[in-house]
Amino acid sequence: MSVLTKQAPGAAATLAAPGGKPGRARLKRKNQRSGYLFLLPWFIGMLFTIIPFFASLYLAFTDYNLFTEPNFVGLANFQAMFEDPRLLQSLKVTFIYTFVSVPISLAVALLIALVLNRGLQGLAIYRSVYYLPSLLGGSVAIVMLWRYIFGNEGIVNGFLGLLGIQGPAWVTDPEFALGTLIVLNVWTFGSPMVIFLAGLRQVPTMYYEAAAIDGASRWRQFRSITLPLISPIIFFNLIMQLIGSFQTFTQGYVMSGGTGGPADSTLFYNLYLYQKGFTEFEMGYASAMAWLLLMIIAVFTAINFIASKFWVFYDN
Amino acid sequence: MMKTVGTPISRRLVLGAAITAAGLALSGCGGGATPSAGGDVELNFVFWGDANRAKVTEEALRIFEEKNPGIKVKTEYQDSGPYADKLATRFAGGNPPDVLAMANRSLLEYAQRGTLADLKSLKELDLGNVPDTVLSRGEVDGKLYGLATGVTTIGMVVNKTITDQAGVTIPDDKTWSWEDYAKFATEVTQKTGGKVYGAGYDVSTETGPIMLARQRGEDFYTKDNKLGVSEETIRDWFQYSVDLRKAGGYPPAGFFEQIGGSPAQSYLAKGTVASQIIPINNYKGYNDAVEGDVVLLRIPGETSGERRGYSADPTMLWSIAAKSKHPKEAAKLLDFLTNDADGAAHTLTQRGVPVNPEVAESITSKLSEDDKKFVDLMAGIQKDDLAPAYVYPKGASVVADTLKQLATEVEFGRVTPADAAKTFLEKSNAAINK
Repeated sequence: MSVLTKQAPGAAATLAAPGGKPGRARLKRKNQRSGYLFLLPWFIGMLFTIIPFFASLYLAFTDYNLFTEPNFVGLANFQAMFEDPRLLQSLKVTFIYTFVSVPISLAVALLIALVLNRGLQGLAIYRSVYYLPSLLGGSVAIVMLWRYIFGNEGIVNGFLGLLGIQGPAWVTDPEFALGTLIVLNVWTFGSPMVIFLAGLRQVPTMYYEAAAIDGASRWRQFRSITLPLISPIIFFNLIMQLIGSFQTFTQGYVMSGGTGGPADSTLFYNLYLYQKGFTEFEMGYASAMAWLLLMIIAVFTAINFIASKFWVFYDN
Repeated sequence: MMKTVGTPISRRLVLGAAITAAGLALSGCGGGATPSAGGDVELNFVFWGDANRAKVTEEALRIFEEKNPGIKVKTEYQDSGPYADKLATRFAGGNPPDVLAMANRSLLEYAQRGTLADLKSLKELDLGNVPDTVLSRGEVDGKLYGLATGVTTIGMVVNKTITDQAGVTIPDDKTWSWEDYAKFATEVTQKTGGKVYGAGYDVSTETGPIMLARQRGEDFYTKDNKLGVSEETIRDWFQYSVDLRKAGGYPPAGFFEQIGGSPAQSYLAKGTVASQIIPINNYKGYNDAVEGDVVLLRIPGETSGERRGYSADPTMLWSIAAKSKHPKEAAKLLDFLTNDADGAAHTLTQRGVPVNPEVAESITSKLSEDDKKFVDLMAGIQKDDLAPAYVYPKGASVVADTLKQLATEVEFGRVTPADAAKTFLEKSNAAINK
């Protein structure tokens, strides 16, 4: 720091010339202005979110078929949910999907990030290669590709056939269809991986040096240095993956052609919500479902925040 | 120099991100508006189908535009699945097309919610030549919401090249029973060494059980818009496929990945099944797509049941949106599609046999050999004394989805045909009576 100030005394002087404080205030105002300017697109986009947000809150308490005016029905939609077996099925599918795929994909993401962080040559290439699936994973094209890879004549069963194993119908058998989608989700570990990688690079090397001198094993170093210091990153990734996973739609829609089949085994909550709204024309019920999902996500996020006090380590 | 220890992501930041991400769940997606052309009236006309159907439709529409200066027609088309989704969102968004193709099972879903125009009230549309039996399939409470694009029915197509090579004789389709079909299918599988399955019809589409119900003297959908099929009929429909699978005539569970696509994507075209049930206006498409000679047959059980199961059904229906800004022009287009022989010279039997008998007569000389076979079979079927058939009730799309879901459950042995039939009736009745 001291070297820097000595080298440029003139610059500092001119900046403070017309009375020090007003200059700084102007700079601050300017910064604020450009800050808000940068936020502007988000504010405009927010309008398109806020309006449907409150519209859906109102519609949740109505009987609304999309074509005629909504009728206020109080809590009837929420009561009907308790007696809807397909709603329960959709919750079951979504919960299994979330609680199986999120931990696995986080573990894989962290593992790959650790490997990449050991100073490989061509890191940028590896990073891009591993990140690529998560850019594509939610897209229709990749889900279609997945259908073919796991299809009856796809490469997975082709490979199993070479080993003399008759592979199951991964896509059309209700026992396997959801599992196939979980594998797809795990495969898209790229975005938590990139965030992990950034986090790992923030961990000061001196801790490892000190630990190595004290004779700590690699595993011990990982447990006692790496994990605590990147725990906020793990926490962040966990929350984001959890929320994203609760809202899964595209994978189930494309894989089943919009039905949630075979036999409702990929009927994600959001897919059922969509069916209610746009094929059965019960938009009031669908809106109520959206609010239930928000509450479920809020509860799980809250639980995570409370639990985080016991395992997330903030240095400052 | 010392780096700041710790990470840049604080608890508050995580919470902020979490709220934003979760909030997105509540906002659906917005729709766009179609720009209208200045001066001319522009009609938006949508339908489902493949590129070939779109091509012949465009040819006919150019003739319409020549005959009706000042009206331009802008078309959009998709596969039937995405089409149904898009149509719903367009109506919901208050931006419906002017003229549209409607599936039998969706007609009353839209009509009874006040979204479709009463076609009888539009003077530009001449219904004088359309038979009452056809009109009744788009009518409810005395109002006409859908006009058949043409009539068709279902039939069995068999790849004769495969059965000839295997040395299996195809039974006489005028008298064959469901048992005959099962025996035939099982024999094909045996004699091809399991390379080709004899039967590949779709268990999960409602047209099959509708036919079976009619053969047994039941109306799947009744005159007063209810469900009339018995539990036994649905159970037997499922049981038949289970038994046929056990005997080897029908492929194992999970074999069909995507059923009901285009002829080129069909399992008949792949050569892995020897027979399939299709809407017979598509016969030419199948014969073109399949390597080998495909023959068109009647559905089994027509003479062994209580009565004929056949009926001449709307292939699809034309409707006009109640909110259309140009109802007169839309009615003119519909009149053209129904009564104009010059337009029909291009579309031929693409959407079934034209409902106006004069138009149907005018195109006979232009038909290909395969399309002629379709028209002849249609005429042959209608010579018999057929029981009336009725418009699909509101809730029919839930019935279709329920059947599909239960068919899969039965396919994988997760429920018995008897339990599936019970559930089917419960869910379908609930959906229709809602």
